[in-house]
Amino acid sequence: MEIELQEIRDFVAAVPPFDLLPENELNLVVRKLGIRYIRRGKSLSDGVENITSVFIIRQGSVSLYAADDKLFGMLAEGDLSTAYCAEGGDEALDARATEDTLIYSIPCDVLFDIVAKHPEAAAFLQDTPHRRLSDAVKSAQQKASQTATLMNTPLSALINEEVIDIDYEASIHDAAVKMTEYGVSSLLIMDGGKLVGILTDRDIRSRCLAKGLSAEVPVNQIMTRDPIFVDSDSLAFDALMMMTQKNIHHLPVIDGGKALGIITATDLIRQEGKNAVHITRSIHRAETVDALAEISKLIPDLQLQIISTGGSAEHVGRAVTAVSSAITRRLITLAELKYGPSPVPYAWVAAGSQARREQGSHSDQDNGLIISDEMKPEDEKWFSSLADFVCDGLDACGFVYCPGDAMAKNPQWRQTENIWTSYFTQWINTPEPKSLMLSSIFFDMRVIEGDKNLLSNIQSKISSQTKNNQLFLAHMTANALQHRTPLGFFRDFVLVDDGEHKDTLDLKHKGIVPIIDLARIYALAEGLNAVGTVERLKAAAGSPSLSQDGSANLLDAYEFINRLRIEHQAAQIRKGEMADNFLSPKRLSRLERAHLKDAFKVVQTMQESLSQRYHAGHIG
Amino acid sequence: MFDFLLSEDSRRRKMLELAPEGPVRDYLSAPLIDRSRDIHSVSLLPLDFETSGLDSSKDHIVSAGYVVIERGEIQLSTATHELVRTEKLLTEESVVIHKITDDAASAGSPLDEVVAKLLQSLAGKVMVAHNAKIEISFLTQACRDLYGVSPRFPAIDTMRIARQWLERRNKEIEQGDLRLFNLRKRYGLPMYQAHNALTDAIATAELLQAQIAHMDSSKCLPLKQFLK
Repeated sequence: MEIELQEIRDFVAAVPPFDLLPENELNLVVRKLGIRYIRRGKSLSDGVENITSVFIIRQGSVSLYAADDKLFGMLAEGDLSTAYCAEGGDEALDARATEDTLIYSIPCDVLFDIVAKHPEAAAFLQDTPHRRLSDAVKSAQQKASQTATLMNTPLSALINEEVIDIDYEASIHDAAVKMTEYGVSSLLIMDGGKLVGILTDRDIRSRCLAKGLSAEVPVNQIMTRDPIFVDSDSLAFDALMMMTQKNIHHLPVIDGGKALGIITATDLIRQEGKNAVHITRSIHRAETVDALAEISKLIPDLQLQIISTGGSAEHVGRAVTAVSSAITRRLITLAELKYGPSPVPYAWVAAGSQARREQGSHSDQDNGLIISDEMKPEDEKWFSSLADFVCDGLDACGFVYCPGDAMAKNPQWRQTENIWTSYFTQWINTPEPKSLMLSSIFFDMRVIEGDKNLLSNIQSKISSQTKNNQLFLAHMTANALQHRTPLGFFRDFVLVDDGEHKDTLDLKHKGIVPIIDLARIYALAEGLNAVGTVERLKAAAGSPSLSQDGSANLLDAYEFINRLRIEHQAAQIRKGEMADNFLSPKRLSRLERAHLKDAFKVVQTMQESLSQRYHAGHIG
Repeated sequence: MFDFLLSEDSRRRKMLELAPEGPVRDYLSAPLIDRSRDIHSVSLLPLDFETSGLDSSKDHIVSAGYVVIERGEIQLSTATHELVRTEKLLTEESVVIHKITDDAASAGSPLDEVVAKLLQSLAGKVMVAHNAKIEISFLTQACRDLYGVSPRFPAIDTMRIARQWLERRNKEIEQGDLRLFNLRKRYGLPMYQAHNALTDAIATAELLQAQIAHMDSSKCLPLKQFLK
């Protein structure tokens, strides 16, 4: 290779799939490169008979239009398009420079030759979006299952609290105050910047209180001097072994002479995935809303730990929902203690994400009360007290009020079985925008506490009304199609379907929700009882509504987008930020962008076919 | 115009008779390109020389870089970079600019091989260079030294195109405005870190593409418009 072409080669080398090629192959590619300059507004095919090459944008940008002049993508520096290498050639395609643009083109044949030798590159270029996506999901799952067990997690990954320490001349009383304040069972004792000892709850008990020592005595009198410590690079497993051998429960973690914190036996055991169990157990013991609110502060950590031990988005959803449901039940019990037993049978139902078992640490609450038809007007007071207590309690625990007021606190969603049934019937028969919005919340419903029959009675009445109800399903589809996935990315922006750019990607509304909506419609159309999205997609697979392939593709898309979402949230939680759904494309690698685009494509294809099935395009 | 073409072509044929067997003769055997042809259909050869100085009678070619533009597309498969083996010691100044040391230059090819290969590539194409008088004068001098005779080399000068473009718009031309680097920036072309004959030839090629793209494309752009 001419060293002079290195700059061009280095540019190409960063563009997938060329990033997979060894240097010698890459040099061959660069030797086949053509360079063209396209004036803004001009088409790539202007003055060219027939384009048969892949092109890469070196500088500038290009918009891609389909036959109907519909924008389907935008490319900027470093983006590649194989549109002109599609089988049979895409004659309808129009690629137009939106800025003055310098493009590199590589003949399709050269590329086909090269990818034939490199199967991993071939997968990128020749496969359909859903095939590439499926591979990406599989490899992410493999990676996750290989990572982060007690066996191979370094301690540095487990320590995320600030260092809680105290000066060696401070009094035992001061130390006890600090430990209480931070809710810790041990303190690092420092002399200047140097770790000189460790003090635990037990030291205060056995070396101070039991001996009748004054609490004003300095901590250095009762601390364990020169404690055994562990390096932050050590594995969690090693730390656990050290504790077991020395029969100690607290180990200072040191990084290059600097104390990072203390790791406890509980930290390590919790790492084994028993965290949800621990949390749930303490929820059952909580006597007040304040205590529950305190426990619920552990939920972000729970989410973090599941992710760092290789869990999927589904694991997070199930664990968080298990905890939120335990909190809900505990709140109901506390309310019943306060207001007495319920006058008539009822069911506390979760709607939305809690019903689907897809909550995250930042989810809001959607719920309702189905009350027995025996209810008398004077009973309403009891149920309104219950609803206020539980909804307020959930809000205090971080499951904030539903912005749309879809909560039992709202009298509209605190009704008898008969009235609920009439609601559903009305939504089904007069599918107007508001009804459709409510349908998308309340068709996902699950009993958390109380009489399950109250809900199943309603469901059995309505499922016959929705199954194969073309008009209702057409309206649900038209409504679902309002949530569109983006077209892809343009520079560091998200490209939405009207060509507008956004600087963050809403992973929930532009990624997950469209899939959740599709799954709901398949379930309604087929009269399935499944509530979770994954459950619904699996149950509907092979039915008239959803092919086996379509189901598999959507499951991959769902898993991929959700994984990005939980990893994004994990990063936020680690930084001490509130978890949200807004991801900046700057944080995405080129490969992740490519896979996301494939996931979006899968969703668009399924939305399109559903739209055709119900002629939803005619509903406006 | 036809007369001009005729005289130009008869001059070529006359020289062809005089030229000795070899590269110059081969070069002259290719008919001249019709100057009324649209620039997009003409084969071009952007070229850059690194030289030991600016005076072709005293200084010499240190390296040559060139690449073909065919149907409006730069073909990297044709990218060529040749160092010229030279007995003469390089001046310190030119070493600093071109980063070609005597060691590197002594590893290059003899001038006659470099020129012969270049003439072969240039036959049937039009030379493109930034400030083309340097490339024309050094190539002419080399041909005279090697073969006793030199063809005339019509060339497209990207610097002259830029100057004309600015003058036509009554823009004041400031120092440095016409440098390759600054002109490329004006067209939003990427920056190249390296400074050598091939990179500069490619940089010139891209600049010409940009200049052509910015001209009124609804009309035919005859070659002769670029040779003035």
